Amino acid sequence: MSLKIKNLSKMFDDKYVLNDISLEVQNGETLGVIGFSGSGKSTLLKIISGILEADSGEIIYPKDSEVAMAFQYSALFDFLNVFDNIAFPIVERKELRKKYTKSELEKIVKEKLKMVGLEGIEEKYPSELSGGMQKRVGFARAIVTNPNIILYDEPTAGLDPVTSTMIEDYIVQLKKELNASCIVVTHQLSTIRRAVDRVIMLYQGKMVFQGSVQELLRGTDEYSRQFVSASITGPMNIIGT
Amino acid sequence: MFELNKTLTYQSLMLLKGEIEDFIATVGNIGVIFVEVVKRIFSFKINFKETIEQSKRFAFDSLPISLTIVGMTSAIIAMQLAPELAKQGGADYTGTLSALVMVRELATIMSGFAIISMVGSSFASELASMAVTEQINAMTVLKVDYISYLIVPRFLAGVVFMPCVFILSAVFGLICAGYVSNWCADLSLLNYYTSLWHGLYLRDIFIALLKASFFGGTIALISCVHGCFTHGGAKEVGLATTKAVVWSFLGIAVWDFIFASFFYL
Repeated sequence: MSLKIKNLSKMFDDKYVLNDISLEVQNGETLGVIGFSGSGKSTLLKIISGILEADSGEIIYPKDSEVAMAFQYSALFDFLNVFDNIAFPIVERKELRKKYTKSELEKIVKEKLKMVGLEGIEEKYPSELSGGMQKRVGFARAIVTNPNIILYDEPTAGLDPVTSTMIEDYIVQLKKELNASCIVVTHQLSTIRRAVDRVIMLYQGKMVFQGSVQELLRGTDEYSRQFVSASITGPMNIIGT
Repeated sequence: MFELNKTLTYQSLMLLKGEIEDFIATVGNIGVIFVEVVKRIFSFKINFKETIEQSKRFAFDSLPISLTIVGMTSAIIAMQLAPELAKQGGADYTGTLSALVMVRELATIMSGFAIISMVGSSFASELASMAVTEQINAMTVLKVDYISYLIVPRFLAGVVFMPCVFILSAVFGLICAGYVSNWCADLSLLNYYTSLWHGLYLRDIFIALLKASFFGGTIALISCVHGCFTHGGAKEVGLATTKAVVWSFLGIAVWDFIFASFFYL
Protein backbone atom coordinates (compact mmCIF):
# COMPACT_ATOMS: atom_id res chain seq x y z
CA MET A 1 0.00 0.00 0.00
CA SER A 2 1.92 3.00 -1.24
CA LEU A 3 1.48 6.05 -3.41
CA LYS A 4 3.32 5.57 -6.71
CA ILE A 5 4.12 8.25 -9.26
CA LYS A 6 5.43 7.14 -12.63
CA ASN A 7 7.04 9.37 -15.27
CA LEU A 8 4.94 12.42 -14.41
CA SER A 9 5.35 15.45 -16.68
CA LYS A 10 3.60 18.80 -16.83
CA MET A 11 4.24 21.79 -19.07
CA PHE A 12 3.15 25.42 -18.77
CA ASP A 13 3.66 27.68 -21.81
CA ASP A 14 5.92 25.16 -23.59
CA LYS A 15 8.18 24.89 -20.52
CA TYR A 16 8.49 21.77 -18.40
CA VAL A 17 7.43 22.41 -14.80
CA LEU A 18 7.71 18.70 -14.04
CA ASN A 19 9.80 16.49 -16.26
CA ASP A 20 9.55 12.71 -15.96
CA ILE A 21 9.19 12.49 -12.18
CA SER A 22 8.88 9.03 -10.62
CA LEU A 23 8.67 8.35 -6.90
CA GLU A 24 7.00 6.19 -4.29
CA VAL A 25 5.80 7.04 -0.79
CA GLN A 26 5.10 4.19 1.62
CA ASN A 27 2.37 4.12 4.24
CA GLY A 28 3.56 5.85 7.39
CA GLU A 29 6.36 7.60 5.52
CA THR A 30 6.88 11.34 5.06
CA LEU A 31 8.60 12.49 1.90
CA GLY A 32 10.05 15.97 1.88
CA VAL A 33 10.09 17.84 -1.44
CA ILE A 34 12.57 20.69 -1.59
CA GLY A 35 13.83 23.01 -4.27
CA PHE A 36 13.91 26.66 -5.24
CA SER A 37 10.78 28.66 -5.99
CA GLY A 38 9.36 27.67 -9.37
CA SER A 39 10.99 24.25 -9.36
CA GLY A 40 7.64 22.44 -9.63
CA LYS A 41 7.07 21.43 -5.99
CA SER A 42 3.60 22.92 -5.61
CA THR A 43 2.63 21.71 -9.10
CA LEU A 44 3.52 18.18 -8.00
CA LEU A 45 1.18 18.49 -4.99
CA LYS A 46 -1.57 19.99 -7.13
CA ILE A 47 -1.38 17.05 -9.54
CA ILE A 48 -1.42 14.45 -6.75
CA SER A 49 -4.37 16.20 -5.08
CA GLY A 50 -6.36 16.38 -8.34
CA ILE A 51 -6.34 20.16 -8.72
CA LEU A 52 -4.26 19.91 -11.91
CA GLU A 53 -3.98 17.20 -14.53
CA ALA A 54 -0.62 15.87 -15.64
CA ASP A 55 0.29 16.01 -19.33
CA SER A 56 1.74 12.52 -19.14
CA GLY A 57 2.62 9.89 -16.58
CA GLU A 58 0.63 8.02 -14.02
CA ILE A 59 -0.29 8.24 -10.35
CA ILE A 60 -1.25 5.00 -8.64
CA TYR A 61 -3.17 5.65 -5.45
CA PRO A 62 -3.64 2.97 -2.78
CA LYS A 63 -7.05 1.27 -2.80
CA ASP A 64 -9.86 3.42 -1.30
CA SER A 65 -7.46 6.28 -0.89
CA GLU A 66 -8.51 9.63 0.49
CA VAL A 67 -6.18 12.52 -0.33
CA ALA A 68 -6.00 15.58 1.91
CA MET A 69 -4.02 18.75 1.50
CA ALA A 70 -2.95 21.44 3.95
CA PHE A 71 -2.49 24.62 1.94
CA GLN A 72 0.29 27.16 2.33
CA TYR A 73 -2.13 29.91 3.38
CA SER A 74 -4.58 27.47 4.98
CA ALA A 75 -7.32 28.15 2.37
CA LEU A 76 -10.00 28.15 5.06
CA PHE A 77 -13.45 29.20 3.85
CA ASP A 78 -13.70 32.74 5.17
CA PHE A 79 -17.53 32.70 5.07
CA LEU A 80 -17.70 29.74 7.47
CA ASN A 81 -16.70 29.48 11.13
CA VAL A 82 -14.12 26.96 12.36
CA PHE A 83 -16.72 24.26 13.07
CA ASP A 84 -18.31 24.56 9.63
CA ASN A 85 -14.89 24.67 7.95
CA ILE A 86 -13.83 21.38 9.54
CA ALA A 87 -17.23 19.74 9.06
CA PHE A 88 -17.44 20.98 5.44
CA PRO A 89 -16.32 17.80 3.60
CA ILE A 90 -18.62 15.63 5.72
CA VAL A 91 -21.61 17.96 5.40
CA GLU A 92 -21.20 18.51 1.66
CA ARG A 93 -20.35 14.96 0.59
CA LYS A 94 -23.47 12.83 0.39
CA GLU A 95 -21.70 9.52 1.07
CA LEU A 96 -20.14 10.91 4.27
CA ARG A 97 -23.17 12.91 5.44
CA LYS A 98 -25.28 9.75 5.62
CA LYS A 99 -22.79 8.08 7.97
CA TYR A 100 -22.95 10.54 10.86
CA THR A 101 -25.59 12.09 13.07
CA LYS A 102 -25.33 15.73 14.13
CA SER A 103 -23.92 14.84 17.57
CA GLU A 104 -21.40 12.44 16.01
CA LEU A 105 -20.28 15.19 13.65
CA GLU A 106 -19.81 17.58 16.58
CA LYS A 107 -17.76 14.91 18.35
CA ILE A 108 -15.56 14.36 15.26
CA VAL A 109 -14.90 18.08 14.80
CA LYS A 110 -13.97 18.48 18.49
CA GLU A 111 -11.72 15.42 18.31
CA LYS A 112 -9.88 16.70 15.21
CA LEU A 113 -9.45 20.13 16.76
CA LYS A 114 -8.01 18.47 19.87
CA MET A 115 -5.58 16.51 17.68
CA VAL A 116 -4.08 19.78 16.48
CA GLY A 117 -4.08 21.31 19.95
CA LEU A 118 -7.07 23.59 19.59
CA GLU A 119 -10.24 23.61 21.65
CA GLY A 120 -13.18 25.95 22.15
CA ILE A 121 -12.69 27.95 18.94
CA GLU A 122 -15.52 26.34 16.95
CA GLU A 123 -17.53 29.54 16.71
CA LYS A 124 -14.64 31.75 15.60
CA TYR A 125 -14.13 32.81 11.98
CA PRO A 126 -10.75 32.34 10.20
CA SER A 127 -10.09 36.11 10.26
CA GLU A 128 -10.16 36.00 14.08
CA LEU A 129 -7.34 33.42 14.25
CA SER A 130 -3.55 33.81 14.17
CA GLY A 131 -1.53 32.38 11.24
CA GLY A 132 -0.45 29.35 13.27
CA MET A 133 -4.01 28.64 14.42
CA GLN A 134 -5.29 28.95 10.85
CA LYS A 135 -2.69 26.39 9.74
CA ARG A 136 -3.80 23.99 12.46
CA VAL A 137 -7.48 24.45 11.62
CA GLY A 138 -6.46 23.73 8.01
CA PHE A 139 -4.82 20.51 9.24
CA ALA A 140 -7.94 19.58 11.21
CA ARG A 141 -10.10 20.11 8.12
CA ALA A 142 -7.68 18.05 6.02
CA ILE A 143 -7.76 15.07 8.41
CA VAL A 144 -11.49 15.09 9.15
CA THR A 145 -12.08 12.40 6.52
CA ASN A 146 -9.24 10.23 7.91
CA PRO A 147 -7.08 10.46 4.77
CA ASN A 148 -4.34 7.99 3.96
CA ILE A 149 -2.43 10.51 1.83
CA ILE A 150 -1.68 13.92 3.33
CA LEU A 151 -0.02 16.69 1.34
CA TYR A 152 1.47 19.73 3.07
CA ASP A 153 2.33 22.81 1.00
CA GLU A 154 4.95 24.81 2.90
CA PRO A 155 3.36 24.15 6.29
CA THR A 156 5.80 26.28 8.29
CA ALA A 157 6.33 29.17 5.86
CA GLY A 158 5.89 32.56 7.50
CA LEU A 159 5.58 31.18 11.04
CA ASP A 160 7.76 31.96 14.05
CA PRO A 161 10.26 29.23 15.08
CA VAL A 162 8.24 28.02 18.07
CA THR A 163 4.98 27.72 16.10
CA SER A 164 6.96 26.03 13.30
CA THR A 165 8.23 23.42 15.74
CA MET A 166 4.68 22.86 16.98
CA ILE A 167 3.42 22.41 13.40
CA GLU A 168 6.28 20.00 12.61
CA ASP A 169 5.36 17.92 15.66
CA TYR A 170 1.74 17.78 14.51
CA ILE A 171 2.86 16.57 11.07
CA VAL A 172 4.71 13.68 12.74
CA GLN A 173 1.84 12.98 15.13
CA LEU A 174 -0.85 12.97 12.42
CA LYS A 175 1.20 10.65 10.23
CA LYS A 176 1.50 8.18 13.11
CA GLU A 177 -2.16 8.38 14.15
CA LEU A 178 -3.49 7.99 10.60
CA ASN A 179 -0.67 5.78 9.26
CA ALA A 180 -0.74 8.00 6.19
CA SER A 181 1.66 8.59 3.30
CA CYS A 182 2.71 12.22 3.63
CA ILE A 183 4.41 14.62 1.25
CA VAL A 184 5.75 17.88 2.66
CA VAL A 185 6.83 20.68 0.34
CA THR A 186 9.13 22.95 2.29
CA HIS A 187 12.06 25.34 2.17
CA GLN A 188 12.80 25.01 5.89
CA LEU A 189 15.66 22.79 6.99
CA SER A 190 14.12 22.60 10.48
CA THR A 191 10.98 21.02 8.99
CA ILE A 192 13.12 18.54 7.03
CA ARG A 193 15.05 17.61 10.18
CA ARG A 194 12.02 17.17 12.43
CA ALA A 195 9.17 15.98 10.24
CA VAL A 196 10.58 14.20 7.17
CA ASP A 197 11.89 10.65 6.61
CA ARG A 198 13.22 10.97 3.06
CA VAL A 199 13.89 13.89 0.72
CA ILE A 200 13.77 14.63 -2.98
CA MET A 201 14.97 17.84 -4.58
CA LEU A 202 13.47 19.33 -7.72
CA TYR A 203 15.25 21.74 -10.02
CA GLN A 204 13.70 23.02 -13.25
CA GLY A 205 11.10 20.27 -13.06
CA LYS A 206 13.62 17.44 -12.71
CA MET A 207 14.47 15.37 -9.69
CA VAL A 208 18.12 16.16 -8.99
CA PHE A 209 18.48 14.53 -5.58
CA GLN A 210 16.84 11.82 -3.57
CA GLY A 211 18.04 10.34 -0.35
CA SER A 212 17.69 10.31 3.39
CA VAL A 213 17.60 13.45 5.53
CA GLN A 214 21.10 12.61 6.78
CA GLU A 215 22.42 12.36 3.20
CA LEU A 216 20.89 15.73 2.37
CA LEU A 217 22.32 17.39 5.46
CA ARG A 218 25.75 15.84 4.87
CA GLY A 219 25.71 17.24 1.35
CA THR A 220 26.59 14.03 -0.45
CA ASP A 221 26.29 15.64 -3.88
CA GLU A 222 26.67 19.11 -5.35
CA TYR A 223 22.89 19.83 -5.41
CA SER A 224 22.28 18.96 -1.76
CA ARG A 225 25.49 20.81 -0.78
CA GLN A 226 24.30 23.98 -2.51
CA PHE A 227 20.82 23.75 -0.95
CA VAL A 228 22.01 23.03 2.59
CA SER A 229 24.75 25.68 2.48
CA ALA A 230 22.27 28.16 0.90
CA SER A 231 24.96 29.03 -1.62
CA ILE A 232 24.22 31.14 -4.68
CA THR A 233 26.96 29.33 -6.61
CA GLY A 234 26.60 25.72 -7.67
CA PRO A 235 24.82 23.61 -10.26
CA MET A 236 21.51 25.36 -9.60
CA ASN A 237 21.21 28.82 -11.09
CA ILE A 238 18.80 30.79 -8.92
CA ILE A 239 18.74 33.93 -11.10
CA GLY A 240 15.40 34.20 -12.84
CA THR A 241 13.83 31.26 -10.98
CA MET B 1 13.30 54.82 -35.85
CA PHE B 2 12.51 51.89 -38.13
CA GLU B 3 13.46 49.46 -35.36
CA LEU B 4 11.26 51.36 -32.91
CA ASN B 5 8.28 51.25 -35.28
CA LYS B 6 8.87 47.59 -35.85
CA THR B 7 8.95 47.00 -32.13
CA LEU B 8 5.81 49.06 -31.52
CA THR B 9 3.95 47.31 -34.36
CA TYR B 10 5.07 43.96 -33.06
CA GLN B 11 4.04 44.85 -29.51
CA SER B 12 0.63 46.12 -30.69
CA LEU B 13 0.05 42.94 -32.67
CA MET B 14 1.08 40.81 -29.71
CA LEU B 15 -1.26 42.80 -27.47
CA LEU B 16 -4.11 42.30 -29.94
CA LYS B 17 -3.29 38.59 -30.18
CA GLY B 18 -3.37 38.35 -26.39
CA GLU B 19 -6.74 40.12 -26.23
CA ILE B 20 -8.22 37.84 -28.92
CA GLU B 21 -6.90 34.74 -27.12
CA ASP B 22 -8.31 36.03 -23.84
CA PHE B 23 -11.71 36.66 -25.48
CA ILE B 24 -11.83 33.17 -27.00
CA ALA B 25 -10.74 31.57 -23.71
CA THR B 26 -13.44 33.45 -21.79
CA VAL B 27 -16.17 32.49 -24.27
CA GLY B 28 -14.91 28.89 -24.08
CA ASN B 29 -14.93 28.90 -20.27
CA ILE B 30 -18.45 30.34 -20.17
CA GLY B 31 -19.64 27.67 -22.62
CA VAL B 32 -17.98 24.80 -20.75
CA ILE B 33 -19.25 25.94 -17.34
CA PHE B 34 -22.76 26.49 -18.73
CA VAL B 35 -22.84 22.89 -19.99
CA GLU B 36 -21.56 21.63 -16.60
CA VAL B 37 -24.17 23.71 -14.75
CA VAL B 38 -27.01 22.38 -16.94
CA LYS B 39 -25.78 18.79 -16.46
CA ARG B 40 -25.86 19.23 -12.69
CA ILE B 41 -29.30 20.82 -12.71
CA PHE B 42 -30.73 17.96 -14.77
CA SER B 43 -29.05 15.34 -12.61
CA PHE B 44 -30.49 17.23 -9.59
CA LYS B 45 -27.09 17.96 -8.01
CA ILE B 46 -28.39 21.14 -6.41
CA ASN B 47 -27.31 22.52 -3.05
CA PHE B 48 -30.67 23.85 -1.79
CA LYS B 49 -29.28 25.63 1.27
CA GLU B 50 -26.87 27.64 -0.88
CA THR B 51 -29.52 28.22 -3.55
CA ILE B 52 -31.87 29.78 -0.97
CA GLU B 53 -28.99 31.87 0.40
CA GLN B 54 -28.00 33.16 -3.04
CA SER B 55 -31.64 33.73 -4.03
CA LYS B 56 -32.15 36.00 -1.01
CA ARG B 57 -29.06 37.88 -2.05
CA PHE B 58 -30.13 38.12 -5.69
CA ALA B 59 -33.64 39.29 -4.91
CA PHE B 60 -33.19 41.55 -1.90
CA ASP B 61 -29.77 43.11 -2.55
CA SER B 62 -30.68 44.36 -5.99
CA LEU B 63 -34.32 45.29 -5.38
CA PRO B 64 -33.87 48.79 -3.83
CA ILE B 65 -31.45 49.94 -6.54
CA SER B 66 -33.54 48.33 -9.29
CA LEU B 67 -36.74 50.00 -8.06
CA THR B 68 -34.92 53.34 -7.85
CA ILE B 69 -33.37 53.13 -11.33
CA VAL B 70 -36.53 51.86 -13.06
CA GLY B 71 -38.75 54.26 -11.11
CA MET B 72 -36.56 57.26 -11.94
CA THR B 73 -36.21 56.30 -15.60
CA SER B 74 -39.94 55.84 -16.10
CA ALA B 75 -40.65 59.09 -14.24
CA ILE B 76 -38.20 60.96 -16.50
CA ILE B 77 -39.71 59.44 -19.65
CA ALA B 78 -43.24 60.31 -18.49
CA MET B 79 -42.06 63.83 -17.62
CA GLN B 80 -40.94 64.37 -21.21
CA LEU B 81 -43.56 62.28 -22.97
CA ALA B 82 -46.81 63.31 -21.22
CA PRO B 83 -46.66 67.12 -21.82
CA GLU B 84 -45.64 66.57 -25.46
CA LEU B 85 -48.48 64.09 -26.04
CA ALA B 86 -50.89 66.47 -24.28
CA LYS B 87 -49.85 69.28 -26.67
CA GLN B 88 -50.58 67.00 -29.65
CA GLY B 89 -53.88 65.95 -28.13
CA GLY B 90 -52.70 62.44 -27.38
CA ALA B 91 -52.28 62.56 -23.57
CA ASP B 92 -54.45 59.48 -23.29
CA TYR B 93 -51.72 57.48 -24.97
CA THR B 94 -49.19 58.16 -22.20
CA GLY B 95 -50.09 54.99 -20.32
CA THR B 96 -50.05 52.84 -23.46
CA LEU B 97 -46.64 54.11 -24.51
CA SER B 98 -45.24 53.78 -20.99
CA ALA B 99 -46.45 50.20 -20.77
CA LEU B 100 -44.95 49.30 -24.15
CA VAL B 101 -41.59 50.94 -23.38
CA MET B 102 -41.32 49.65 -19.82
CA VAL B 103 -42.47 46.08 -20.34
CA ARG B 104 -40.82 45.45 -23.67
CA GLU B 105 -37.50 47.12 -22.97
CA LEU B 106 -36.64 49.48 -20.15
CA ALA B 107 -37.63 47.58 -17.03
CA THR B 108 -35.68 44.47 -18.01
CA ILE B 109 -32.55 46.27 -19.17
CA MET B 110 -32.54 48.72 -16.24
CA SER B 111 -33.07 46.02 -13.62
CA GLY B 112 -30.36 44.04 -15.44
CA PHE B 113 -27.95 46.97 -14.97
CA ALA B 114 -28.93 47.21 -11.30
CA ILE B 115 -28.33 43.49 -10.79
CA ILE B 116 -24.97 43.59 -12.57
CA SER B 117 -23.77 46.43 -10.36
CA MET B 118 -25.13 45.04 -7.09
CA VAL B 119 -25.01 41.27 -7.41
CA GLY B 120 -22.88 40.34 -10.44
CA SER B 121 -19.92 42.39 -9.26
CA SER B 122 -20.25 40.95 -5.78
CA PHE B 123 -20.40 37.35 -7.13
CA ALA B 124 -17.29 37.96 -9.25
CA SER B 125 -15.20 39.59 -6.51
CA GLU B 126 -16.23 37.03 -3.90
CA LEU B 127 -15.38 34.04 -6.09
CA ALA B 128 -12.19 35.68 -7.41
CA SER B 129 -11.06 36.24 -3.85
CA MET B 130 -11.83 32.58 -3.06
CA ALA B 131 -9.89 31.50 -6.15
CA VAL B 132 -6.72 33.48 -5.36
CA THR B 133 -6.71 32.29 -1.75
CA GLU B 134 -7.03 28.67 -2.97
CA GLN B 135 -10.44 28.15 -1.33
CA ILE B 136 -11.80 26.76 -4.61
CA ASN B 137 -8.78 24.44 -4.89
CA ALA B 138 -9.46 23.35 -1.30
CA MET B 139 -13.02 22.38 -2.31
CA THR B 140 -11.64 20.26 -5.15
CA VAL B 141 -9.22 18.46 -2.82
CA LEU B 142 -12.02 17.91 -0.28
CA LYS B 143 -13.97 16.30 -3.15
CA VAL B 144 -16.74 18.88 -3.02
CA ASP B 145 -17.82 19.89 -6.51
CA TYR B 146 -17.31 23.66 -6.64
CA ILE B 147 -19.63 24.02 -9.64
CA SER B 148 -22.51 22.46 -7.67
CA TYR B 149 -21.67 24.38 -4.51
CA LEU B 150 -20.78 27.82 -5.90
CA ILE B 151 -22.07 28.25 -9.44
CA VAL B 152 -25.31 26.26 -9.72
CA PRO B 153 -27.00 28.08 -6.77
CA ARG B 154 -26.04 31.49 -8.16
CA PHE B 155 -27.17 30.55 -11.67
CA LEU B 156 -30.54 29.27 -10.41
CA ALA B 157 -30.99 32.37 -8.25
CA GLY B 158 -30.41 34.50 -11.35
CA VAL B 159 -32.76 32.53 -13.58
CA VAL B 160 -35.60 32.47 -11.02
CA PHE B 161 -35.28 35.82 -9.26
CA MET B 162 -34.35 38.22 -12.04
CA PRO B 163 -37.94 37.94 -13.43
CA CYS B 164 -39.27 38.73 -9.93
CA VAL B 165 -37.05 41.82 -9.66
CA PHE B 166 -38.15 42.81 -13.18
CA ILE B 167 -41.88 42.47 -12.46
CA LEU B 168 -41.70 44.49 -9.23
CA SER B 169 -39.53 47.16 -10.89
CA ALA B 170 -41.85 47.38 -13.91
CA VAL B 171 -44.96 47.77 -11.72
CA PHE B 172 -43.20 50.41 -9.61
CA GLY B 173 -41.97 52.20 -12.75
CA LEU B 174 -45.47 52.32 -14.26
CA ILE B 175 -46.93 53.67 -11.01
CA CYS B 176 -44.21 56.37 -10.93
CA ALA B 177 -44.94 57.26 -14.57
CA GLY B 178 -48.66 57.58 -13.72
CA TYR B 179 -48.06 60.05 -10.90
CA VAL B 180 -45.58 62.09 -12.96
CA SER B 181 -48.02 62.24 -15.91
CA ASN B 182 -50.69 63.43 -13.52
CA TRP B 183 -48.33 66.08 -12.15
CA CYS B 184 -46.82 67.28 -15.46
CA ALA B 185 -49.72 66.96 -17.89
CA ASP B 186 -52.78 66.91 -15.63
CA LEU B 187 -53.58 63.43 -16.86
CA SER B 188 -55.99 61.79 -14.43
CA LEU B 189 -54.77 58.55 -12.88
CA LEU B 190 -57.91 56.79 -14.07
CA ASN B 191 -57.20 57.82 -17.67
CA TYR B 192 -53.55 56.81 -17.28
CA TYR B 193 -54.37 53.34 -15.98
CA THR B 194 -57.07 52.81 -18.60
CA SER B 195 -54.57 53.79 -21.30
CA LEU B 196 -51.87 51.65 -19.68
CA TRP B 197 -54.16 48.64 -19.79
CA HIS B 198 -54.40 48.99 -23.59
CA GLY B 199 -50.61 48.82 -23.88
CA LEU B 200 -50.22 45.72 -21.74
CA TYR B 201 -50.10 42.53 -23.77
CA LEU B 202 -49.81 39.12 -22.17
CA ARG B 203 -47.37 38.12 -24.92
CA ASP B 204 -45.09 41.08 -24.06
CA ILE B 205 -45.16 40.17 -20.38
CA PHE B 206 -44.22 36.55 -21.07
CA ILE B 207 -41.43 37.59 -23.43
CA ALA B 208 -40.12 40.08 -20.85
CA LEU B 209 -40.19 37.45 -18.09
CA LEU B 210 -38.33 35.00 -20.31
CA LYS B 211 -35.82 37.71 -21.25
CA ALA B 212 -35.33 38.63 -17.57
CA SER B 213 -34.68 34.98 -16.81
CA PHE B 214 -32.04 34.82 -19.57
CA PHE B 215 -30.50 38.06 -18.28
CA GLY B 216 -30.34 36.70 -14.71
CA GLY B 217 -28.72 33.44 -15.77
CA THR B 218 -26.26 35.24 -18.03
CA ILE B 219 -25.21 37.74 -15.35
CA ALA B 220 -24.75 34.99 -12.75
CA LEU B 221 -22.86 32.69 -15.11
CA ILE B 222 -20.52 35.38 -16.48
CA SER B 223 -19.78 36.72 -12.99
CA CYS B 224 -19.10 33.25 -11.58
CA VAL B 225 -16.84 32.24 -14.48
CA HIS B 226 -14.78 35.45 -14.23
CA GLY B 227 -14.50 34.94 -10.47
CA CYS B 228 -13.63 31.24 -10.45
CA PHE B 229 -10.98 31.49 -13.18
CA THR B 230 -8.99 34.26 -11.49
CA HIS B 231 -5.30 33.71 -10.81
CA GLY B 232 -2.93 36.05 -9.02
CA GLY B 233 -3.68 38.55 -6.29
CA ALA B 234 -5.62 41.69 -5.35
CA LYS B 235 -5.07 43.35 -8.75
CA GLU B 236 -6.50 40.34 -10.57
CA VAL B 237 -9.53 40.26 -8.24
CA GLY B 238 -10.26 43.87 -9.25
CA LEU B 239 -9.73 43.08 -12.93
CA ALA B 240 -11.99 40.03 -12.73
CA THR B 241 -14.75 42.14 -11.20
CA THR B 242 -14.42 44.80 -13.90
CA LYS B 243 -14.39 42.17 -16.64
CA ALA B 244 -17.45 40.46 -15.14
CA VAL B 245 -19.36 43.76 -15.19
CA VAL B 246 -18.32 44.61 -18.76
CA TRP B 247 -19.04 41.11 -20.07
CA SER B 248 -22.41 41.05 -18.29
CA PHE B 249 -23.40 44.37 -19.92
CA LEU B 250 -22.31 42.93 -23.25
CA GLY B 251 -24.16 39.67 -22.56
CA ILE B 252 -27.50 41.28 -21.77
CA ALA B 253 -27.16 43.67 -24.74
CA VAL B 254 -26.65 40.68 -27.05
CA TRP B 255 -29.64 38.81 -25.55
CA ASP B 256 -31.76 41.95 -25.82
CA PHE B 257 -30.94 42.23 -29.52
CA ILE B 258 -31.66 38.52 -30.08
CA PHE B 259 -35.02 38.75 -28.27
CA ALA B 260 -36.04 41.94 -30.14
CA SER B 261 -35.08 40.39 -33.49
CA PHE B 262 -36.77 37.10 -32.76
CA PHE B 263 -40.05 38.31 -31.25
CA TYR B 264 -40.64 41.80 -32.67
CA LEU B 265 -39.04 41.92 -36.10
